This record gives sequence, structure tokens and C-alpha cells, in this order.
Amino acid sequence: MRVLLQLLLLVAATLANAEHTSNWAVLVSTSRFWFNYRHLANVLSLYRTVKRLGIPDSQIILMLPDDMACNPRNAFPGTVYNNADRALDLYGDNIEVDYRGYEVTVENFIRLMTDRVGEDMPRSKRLLTDDRSNILVYMTGHGGNEFLKFQDAEEISAFDLADAFAQMWEKKRYHEMLFMIDTCQANTMYSKFYSPNIIATGSSEIDQSSYSHHADNDVGVAVIDRYTYYNLDFLETQIREPTSKKTLGDLFDSYDESKIHSHPGVRYDLFEGGEQAARTRLVMDFFGNVQNVELESAQAVNDTQWKADLQQLEQLIMATKKTRNVTEAENSSRGNEDITNPMPALRMEKAMRVNEEDSWAKRVGGALALTACGVAWFAGRWIESPKKP
Amino acid sequence: MFFSFLLCLFFTSLAYGSDYRERLLLRPLPHGALLASFNFQSNASSTSFEQQNFRYFPRSLGQILQHTHTKELHLRFSLGRWDAEAWGARPWNGAREGGTGVELWAWVEAASDKEANARWLTLTNALSGLFCASLNFIDSTRTIRPVMTFEPEGSHPPNALGNLHLLHGNLPHEVVCTENLTPFLKLLPCKGKAGISSLFDGHKLFDASWQTMAIDVRPVCTGDGSECVLEMEQTVDMVLDIERSKRPRDNPIPRPAPIEDIRCDESKFYNSHDSCMPLAKSTEPAWSLQDVFGRQISGACPLSDANDAERVICVNAVPERTFEIRSGAAQRVAEQVAPDMRCTALPSGPEEGLDFDLLFSDQPLTPPVNLTRPRLHAFRSMTGHGQERGGIEAVLRNPLSQPVSLVYMESLPWFMKPYLHTLNVAVSGNGNRDFQALKETYYRPAVDRERGTHIELLLEIPASSTLTLSYDFDKAILRYTEYPPDANRGFDVAPAVIRLLPNAADIASTSADERQKGVYLRTTDLLLPLPTPDFSMPYNVIILTSTVMALGFGSIFNLLVRRFVAADEVEGATLRARIAGLKERFRSKLQSIWARHSGKGEKDQ
Repeated sequence: MRVLLQLLLLVAATLANAEHTSNWAVLVSTSRFWFNYRHLANVLSLYRTVKRLGIPDSQIILMLPDDMACNPRNAFPGTVYNNADRALDLYGDNIEVDYRGYEVTVENFIRLMTDRVGEDMPRSKRLLTDDRSNILVYMTGHGGNEFLKFQDAEEISAFDLADAFAQMWEKKRYHEMLFMIDTCQANTMYSKFYSPNIIATGSSEIDQSSYSHHADNDVGVAVIDRYTYYNLDFLETQIREPTSKKTLGDLFDSYDESKIHSHPGVRYDLFEGGEQAARTRLVMDFFGNVQNVELESAQAVNDTQWKADLQQLEQLIMATKKTRNVTEAENSSRGNEDITNPMPALRMEKAMRVNEEDSWAKRVGGALALTACGVAWFAGRWIESPKKP
Repeated sequence: MFFSFLLCLFFTSLAYGSDYRERLLLRPLPHGALLASFNFQSNASSTSFEQQNFRYFPRSLGQILQHTHTKELHLRFSLGRWDAEAWGARPWNGAREGGTGVELWAWVEAASDKEANARWLTLTNALSGLFCASLNFIDSTRTIRPVMTFEPEGSHPPNALGNLHLLHGNLPHEVVCTENLTPFLKLLPCKGKAGISSLFDGHKLFDASWQTMAIDVRPVCTGDGSECVLEMEQTVDMVLDIERSKRPRDNPIPRPAPIEDIRCDESKFYNSHDSCMPLAKSTEPAWSLQDVFGRQISGACPLSDANDAERVICVNAVPERTFEIRSGAAQRVAEQVAPDMRCTALPSGPEEGLDFDLLFSDQPLTPPVNLTRPRLHAFRSMTGHGQERGGIEAVLRNPLSQPVSLVYMESLPWFMKPYLHTLNVAVSGNGNRDFQALKETYYRPAVDRERGTHIELLLEIPASSTLTLSYDFDKAILRYTEYPPDANRGFDVAPAVIRLLPNAADIASTSADERQKGVYLRTTDLLLPLPTPDFSMPYNVIILTSTVMALGFGSIFNLLVRRFVAADEVEGATLRARIAGLKERFRSKLQSIWARHSGKGEKDQ
């Protein structure tokens, strides 16, 4: 009987292990300048979608390299649209941009993914994932064969990206990952990946461009790219609520090459279980927040344990209170000392006062020094000079 | 002066016991502009703050302040330009306003400069995460330690002052947009859901002619210093163009009005059916809060101080300018608290309906409200030409009939290298030829890539005269990788901060609190064009260099390892030919010997 129970528990544990416990999204636009409005609109559309499906702002890393909403060229201040019908304002009233402007660089992106950041980096700018986190990585910008440009100034290569993901896998920073990229020759960007559990999809094959969908005449530029447009079309019309059971297979099958004007690609071979397993993953596994509640095993949930925990906590609080009182008392006594003995800090790094009163004295001094040198030189010449015959 | 007295009357902090209160001042300005000045104040007693009991004071900010030992904090997000000629003196005497972009200064407690720098770095990084701005770019090159320009606003214990370090940084290039407003609203107790903060809409706020968001945290103690509170003040000031704000959000592009709606000046000789001189407006525009802000106020914030509820919204306009209050179902009349000031309360309970609006009707032009004249006008511009040398010229004009003393502070980026000996201060005006306007100079020169220049000048401008300040600078050449992606746009130079020092008359007429906050104004920021390389040039250079190197290497290699022979000697060059040649020579030698022998024989014969 006991063996059976343990077996059951083991099965439950493995089942639970197969699932993720948190969802994260890294949404990156890599283009600066007004005419790349559509790339920001792409990424903001995805931001709205994942937020609609339940991923909170704290688990979304949004990288916007330029300011389109408050751009002086924008006739619609504080707004970004992804459609000429202007039905949905993507910027809205509640938005948190984690990396913006010059902060969107290849270095920062790779540091974010691999969590190699300085000690002062705030939590909102870090990807705090673990080996049970599903990550959606969406990138858009201008790219080419095995590279993606960042802000027209630098590039990330397919090899850099593959190595970053490999390091993430080694550091147990993801459970499963969906990588989406919308750029020219996008499928080359995921061709170098070699770490497991990644499903990758891109907008166009090698030597193919990725096109914009349509322009808004009042905004004055193209507002969205084709591939992203049809992805959104699926997400908006098919995934209406967080309980949706649509799979990634459904999403990938919805790609219509005649509409997208390029050949979107999907890469399954890295995923455990191959194409079949990858296609049966739910769209909500990556675009929405985890819905399942996972209970700890039956043993952990008993009355005595949580009571013991509470008692322990209480003791901890008492102990800290005691130490605090002691330190406060010390502080107050030290404070009294401070009043009698104020210790101003040594200040070196400050602007110095420039005095002009003694400038005449300095000039006279300089002139005197010069004259003395001249006199010394003449004296030397006079002494050394050959005697006249 | 009268206006500042009014302001003082309505906006100086009331009782220290109140924990949270909010105020909105609306002041119609000439040419269809509207100043909206929001102020939110939340207090936490210093003991509860130290024990991390946060009620109205936001925990997210409080923990950052505790972690970095920041005793006083001032953070500003600003956009646009204040038009002092038309709009008069700045709200709050300029003390709640920042330079274009983001400006931050704080008093950090630390035992040494090094520790203060480390804490400052932590503070900027933490704030960058909280406010979605690139505040982490405030590094040592953008940080200065002002000497005279800023004084602590709060009351700090005298023995702690020695360990307080003032650090100041600014990011003039930083854009201010909705993502900065979102965290700002989340710091408020009512989070923009009720009270005057429900008027905040990014679409209108960032369409303003001028706007500034400020966060100020300071300790305030009672007279004897026994009871202290930590006061957090959040301020938003903006000047909206009423016509512009009234445009519908989905169609904000101005289109010409139909000709029937335009009233022409018929006295013009060219007036006909196809040419028209539009008449100047003779009526005040009609507007309501809904029109201008896009929303109504949804009731009072239930957390705000009840004693203070009667004066939450004040309109600073002449009494002739009438408006109607629409406050749910209840009838409300504005209370006249001063000649030019009418105030009202917000609906507080659901029983009377929560929607609140002010309706200003279309009415004949009323005289504008009596605006305070600014005490100083300041303009700053770039002079010089070319890629190497430049200059700065600042013109400070004193319009009043009494002298003014001021502190002029500039924080320049390291790649702008001023020459202090070219600093020239000249005062124009009658009998000012020999006037010594420059009283004191504080200066800290730049170090390449480590810190910027810091200049602070104590100046005095005589009555109704103009001071011109100028100096020259050199433009540094950056390294290829130091240029930003949009280098050809130019580099922003932070606005100069000007602090007007109080004279005897001011000290008599202003409150202690106002004096502590000071009177400030800032110039606009400058765009400095630096010599920028052609960024595709390195690739050209690499390609060309490779070609030259390949050519050079190839020819030298050839010269070293090859032997050059004439074309007719080519046959003798190969090994086989050489062997054949050797054989041939050997044979010929043998033959000659043979021939000699046989010759002898013949001779013998």
C-alpha cells in the first residue's frame, strides 16, 4: 500500500514537473526613428495581448528604443495605433516600459536574458525566471541573414542569440521558450539555436523580405507588419479568454503565405517530443499567465506544521524586535555623543572657489620670475663668454 | 506679490497632523491657455516611517529612500517651455519645476564622498526601475555637487547636516511620456481612480504646451523639533491650450473651419467673397473639465483630509468669468475666498452622485487675471561656428526697479570644455559701465569621460538692466563607440538653473516655508552639434586598407621569394633544363678533351 502511495506521489511529481509555474514575456523592438513606427506598434500589440491574457507588468520586459507616443511628429499625442481604423490605443493609460531609448542595446539584451547584471539593477528590469518558467521572446526590427540590427548602430547575430539561450538553459532560467521574430530573413535568426525546449518561429525565409501590412495616412507611416498582423488576428479572434484550448499548431497553421507575402518558418527539432509535442502546446502556455494552482504534497499540509511555522515566525519577530530595541538604544546614546562631537565628513569632490583678487600679485610674481631667469641667463653668458684678445 | 500671498494662503501646508490632502488650481491664462496646478501631499510620521509602517506614503519609494539613506529627494520630469512674457511668474516660484527632461537632486547621508557616490548610484538605479526612465544614465559624468544653488527644504537635525551630501544630476534628452505618469499615479493613495488625480490622462498631459511633474520628499518638524513627519509632495503643473485640448482624440488634426463659420473683418479693403481677414476673438472660449482633460472628476478621494475638503478645487479668475458646477445631483456654489479666487469641494458620497465637472460658458471677453510679473527673464543660446569652437551666451534681464542677486549654475557634459578665462560678464544700462556684477565663482573642471564641468556664479543685476554672460568652449571629439545611435541629432546640454536670492522686501512678505523652497527659474536646454564621423566610414577604411595591404604584401612577397629572369633565359631556369645544361657542358668538356687527345694523336701521326 505504502509503495503504491509513493508511486502515485512520484507520478504526480513528474506530472507537475512537466508543467510551468510562471510565465514571462520579453518583448523587444530594435528600431529607432519615426519611420520605424510599425516596429514599436508590433511590440506594443504583443504587449497588450499578453497583458490581456493575464501576464502582469512585473513579468513583462518591454524594450522600446524610441518614443513614438510623445514624439513631436505624432499627430495623436500619447497614442500608438496598430491599425488605420484607430480603434485601439496601444499606449493607453497604464504602461510600464522597462528599457527605453539608448538602454536598448545588444549588451543589455544579452545581460537581461542571462541575468548578468550589476548589483544595483532594479528588479523590474530583470528577468527573474527559473526552471519552471515559460518565456515568450518576441523581437522585431530590421535584420538580414543571421543578424538583427539594434537602433541602426549595432547588430546581434544568430550565434550570439543561440549562445545566450544556451547559457539560460545551463543556468536553469527557462522551462520552455517560444521565440518569435518578425524581420527580414527572420528564419535565419533561429537557425543556430542548439539548446533544448525552444520552439522558434519567424516571418520570412533567407533572402526574403518581411513586409508591412498597411499605412495610416494621418499617422503618416506604416503601422504594422504583415506577420505580426496575422498573428494578432489569430490571437484576437481565436483566443478570446484565458481558458482557450487552442494550440500552437493551430497558430502556426493559421499562417497564410499569400497574405503574409513571405514564408514563415517554424523550428520544432529542439523541443522535447519534437513536432508533435510542440504543436500540442497551448497558445496560453506562452501568451497567458499560468492558470493552474499546484498544491504541495499532502504531508506538507497538516495542522501541526503551519502552527509550528507560525510559532517560529513569532519567535523571529520577537528576536528582531529585541535587537532593534538594543540597536536603537545604542543609536540614541551614540546620537548624544554626536551632538557633543559633530564629525563633518571630509569633502573632496566639490567645486572650488575661484579667487580673482590676487591675480595682479600672481602677474607680478610671474614677471619677476621671468626677469630673474633672464638675468641668470645673461649672467651665465657673460661669465662663459671668451675673453677678448 | 499679491498672488504669491494668495498662493501662500492656499497652498502652504496646514496642520502637520493631516495625512493626505490634494489641491487643484485652475487659472485661465491669456490667448486661450489654461494653467492647471495639481498638488498632492502625503505625510508619514518619522517613527512610523522608520518602522516601515506605510499608510499614505508609498512603500515602494519609502523603501528606496531607506535603503539608500536619502534624507531629502527632488525628482522632476518636464516638457515644453514656460512662456513668461504671456503667462507671468512661474507656479510655486519655480521651486516645483525642473529642466527639460529629467532632473534629480537629493541629500544622501554618508560618511565619505565615496560612500555618497555609491548610494547615489543605487538611488538612481532604483528610481529608474520605479519610474520607467533611464535615470541609471546619471553616472559620474552627469553628477555634480552644487554649492550655492540648492538649500535643503526640510528640517534636518543640525548634527546630521555634516554628513549630508547634496548630489544633482540631469538627463536633458530623456523623453517624458505615459510610462512615467503610470508609476507617478501609482504612488498616490487614490491611484488616479478618485479625487482630482482622476483627471490625469496621458493623452492630454503630454499634449500640453508646458508640463512638469515633481516629487519632493522632505522631513518637516514642528518648531521645537520634537515631532517630525516625512512629507511627500507630488506636483503636476501644466499649461494646456484650450482649443487644442478640445479636439476629439480620434481626430486631433486641425482642419480649416468652413468659411461660413469664420467672421471676417469687413473694414479691410480686400475683403470680398474669396479673401477674408478673420476677426480677433471677442469671446472667452467655452470649456469644461470634460472637454479639456477628457474626463470628469469621479468624486473626492475618500482618503483625503476631511477638514480640508472645502478648498480642493480653486479657480483663479476674475469674478466676471462665470462657471457652473455640475456635481452629481447636488447643487453646489463656489465659495469666494479672495477677490480672484473661488473654491469648491468635491462630492464625497455615492448618495449625491460622484461625477463632478466645471462648465465655463461662452461669454464676452473678460479682463485677464492680474498675473505676477516674473522677477527675471533668462535666455541662453549657443554662439560660435564650426566643428571645434563654440560659445555660450546667457542674457539675464531684470525688469524690476530693484537690484536682484542670483546664483547661476551650469552643469556641462565632459565633451564640452569651457575656458574659464573667457568668462565675461557685462551689464548694460545707464551708469553700469563699471558695475562688478560677478561676485563669486565656483568651478570644477571636467575630466574626460569621468566628470563634467560645474560652474556656479553669484551675480548681481542692478535695477532694470540686462546682464550678458558669455564664455567659449571647445568641442571634444568622441570615440567611435561613444556616439549614440542618433548622433547627428546633436547632444543635449542641460538647462542652466538660476536661483534668485531673497532681498529684504521678500523676506518680510513671504512665509518661512516659501523662503525655504526658494525662487528658481531654468533656461531652455541646448542642442550641441559635435563633429560626427560618417559611421559607414570604418567599413570603407577596412576595405580600402585591406586592399592596399594585400597589394603591398603581395608585391613584397614576390620580390623576396622570386628570381626575375629575362624571357629568353626562362628555359634555363627549370631543374631539368639545368641538368640537361650540366650534361651538355659535361659532354662538351669530354668532347674537347677527347678532341685534344685525338688532335695530339693526329699530330703524332
